[in-house]
Amino acid sequence: MYSHNNFIQTELWKGGPVPGQFYNFPGTSQDINAGNITAPGLYGSNRSSSPITTGTSVIGVKFDGGVMIAADNLVSYGSLARYQDVQRVFKINEKTIIGAGGDFADFQSLKRSIDQKMVEDMCYQDDIEMQPKSLYNWLTRILYNRRSRVNPLWLEMVVGGMQDGVPFLGHVDLRGRAYEDDVVATGFGKHFALPLVREQISEGRLLSQSEASQVLRKCMEVLYYRDCRAISKYSVAVSTAQGTIVQGPFEVNQNWQLATLVKGY
Amino acid sequence: MFLTRAEYDRGVNTFSPEGRLFQVEYAIEAIKLGSTAIGICTSSGVVLAAEKRSTSELMVSSSVEKIVQVDRHIGCVTSGLTADARTLIDRARVECQNYWFIYNEPMPIESCAQAVSAMAIQFGDSSDGGSAMSRPFGVAMLFAGINEGVPQLWHMDPSGTYVRYGAKAIGSGSEGAQQTLKDEYHKDMSLQEATKLAMSILKQVMEEKLESKNVEVLVMKPNEDFRMFSKEEVEREINAL
Amino acid sequence: MHKIQSFPEYQVPGAQHQDFSPYESNGGSIVAIAGEDYVVIAADTRLSSGYTIHTRKQNKLFQLSEKTVLGSTGCWCDTLALTSLVNARMQMYEHLHLKTMSTEAVAQMLSILMYNRRFFPYYVSNVLAGLDSEGKGVVYSYDPIGHCERTTYRAGGSAGTLLQPVLDNQIGGKDRDVKNKPKVPLEKAKEVAKDAFISAAERDIYTGDSVILKVITKDGITEEEVQLRKD
Repeated sequence: MYSHNNFIQTELWKGGPVPGQFYNFPGTSQDINAGNITAPGLYGSNRSSSPITTGTSVIGVKFDGGVMIAADNLVSYGSLARYQDVQRVFKINEKTIIGAGGDFADFQSLKRSIDQKMVEDMCYQDDIEMQPKSLYNWLTRILYNRRSRVNPLWLEMVVGGMQDGVPFLGHVDLRGRAYEDDVVATGFGKHFALPLVREQISEGRLLSQSEASQVLRKCMEVLYYRDCRAISKYSVAVSTAQGTIVQGPFEVNQNWQLATLVKGY
Repeated sequence: MFLTRAEYDRGVNTFSPEGRLFQVEYAIEAIKLGSTAIGICTSSGVVLAAEKRSTSELMVSSSVEKIVQVDRHIGCVTSGLTADARTLIDRARVECQNYWFIYNEPMPIESCAQAVSAMAIQFGDSSDGGSAMSRPFGVAMLFAGINEGVPQLWHMDPSGTYVRYGAKAIGSGSEGAQQTLKDEYHKDMSLQEATKLAMSILKQVMEEKLESKNVEVLVMKPNEDFRMFSKEEVEREINAL
Repeated sequence: MHKIQSFPEYQVPGAQHQDFSPYESNGGSIVAIAGEDYVVIAADTRLSSGYTIHTRKQNKLFQLSEKTVLGSTGCWCDTLALTSLVNARMQMYEHLHLKTMSTEAVAQMLSILMYNRRFFPYYVSNVLAGLDSEGKGVVYSYDPIGHCERTTYRAGGSAGTLLQPVLDNQIGGKDRDVKNKPKVPLEKAKEVAKDAFISAAERDIYTGDSVILKVITKDGITEEEVQLRKD
């Protein structure tokens, strides 16, 4: 029998199934960690100490009648531009939109919980929908709880929408650090996009919707040029009093003529 | 057809068809077997006076504690089953200390009464440890204390009801005592008058002769800590009657 | 079952290097000055991590009651968790005891809530300002594990060490040739607090943008905002 052959098990196929045996799929009774993500295993527990498949910058802006969140359509695997047609901005309901950067698997798992909440919301048939501030606060608690177990959901999230008819925009990160502002960004966007948007916002005046989408386009363009984990295709989620919609994908304007002039590296 | 009382008074978890919990009512009856205690609240202080029954000539009466300290600002007298009373007083003391620990200020008298009443109604026959007792506590309590500089008197009975009183009597002589209190008590009586009233009512309702060894007196005043009357002070009050 | 002890710590199978820290310093400073019948508390509005400014308008003063304001800086996620816990506990107190918590009670409770997390502390610098039960201004300051000290003035947060000696001199009258230290009038307290922040913004990169100043008196709480340098 192959299963008596320790050579195969330990050297050639370490950690995998011995030929003739099955994998312990997650969720089966043989999986000692099933159902409890933070229970310690035999030698302590494995936690996320770094993200794996990642999304880069997300940018959110308030404008005079709503909120816009933009992100490109790439999910990277390290430096590999692995998945190039992925949505990272979403409509949650008619009042709420989100954008996600960081570990995409963590986001997808979280998104399933959010979607389930929306299904429950719908089942009440009371025309009451979760508003962005509630989702924002819920995310804060979830992410803070996980960071307190030193097992974070490696995410940087932007939440936007209409809160009682007023534009809302907030940011939450993997530690549960949260704040609201007229413009928020994650990752590289913090360095590149924030100054570009802030330049357009004079104190006390919000952008118009078309100004907002123009400045986001500019931001995505600059990010595409300078952020090696960005691609030229991006989507925008928009929330206004009329509802929410995800637009795109759009292509950024790119012009590489200058590149031939860059010398000396 | 209504069943007789006897069939609804066995369990503490069964209402009678008229909506009564007989075991609780019986517990209230048990208090009427206890020794009499009187509390009177005035604007300058609150007085507690309690009868101490001696069952035997050989008993050392000073070993019986009727009036006890709950906290520096709260005194308490009980009537009914003494052992049950100890449990509730222990809870009151712990609650007061816990409140002080968390909030660094004396516990309000009402909160103390509320905390004790929460325990008093934790009876039942559940086996999961959710209840403190299998039956109602057979105790009535009078809390005398100073709340933010204001003297207060609170009464609690086995049903867990807690109510603030100007003057209240509990125990075997309570019915007669309460009637006298109703006639004699007025809001702006002095603390001396209140003490004298409490002592004279005790004298009326007690079977034994009123002596310093079978009565305890506590007077709580604003800005003063819990302090019981000494034997001499009690005797002075008795002689002044 | 293998014995974990038989492995050196760094060789335990499955153990991974942890490069996640649950803590992060998000900067911010607080100044509080108490007088006979008032208390002033001020905090800047910059929220940052390292050289990155997240927002320039994050209020770090939490009004807990008509008489009490808490200033909290440090690890912002801990500030959020701690302040919402304090708010919840104060609401529970109000329901249970039918009154609003006094400043002294909040001060003690805050100490206990923080010490409860002794071995995984809230990484925050707290300054609590309020009127005590006699109506006098009072300031309480805390370390991250809940040590609590009652004072009349305090600077805390990222520029706390920079500002405390200024307050010692200007408010406490320390090291000055002042006989019979005069009582600090409200206007002077406000000016010192503002100047302290203007100075802090010069030298501390985690303090700046603007400062929100709250004045608590028996008549209520007023608020004003002063702009600081934004670089």
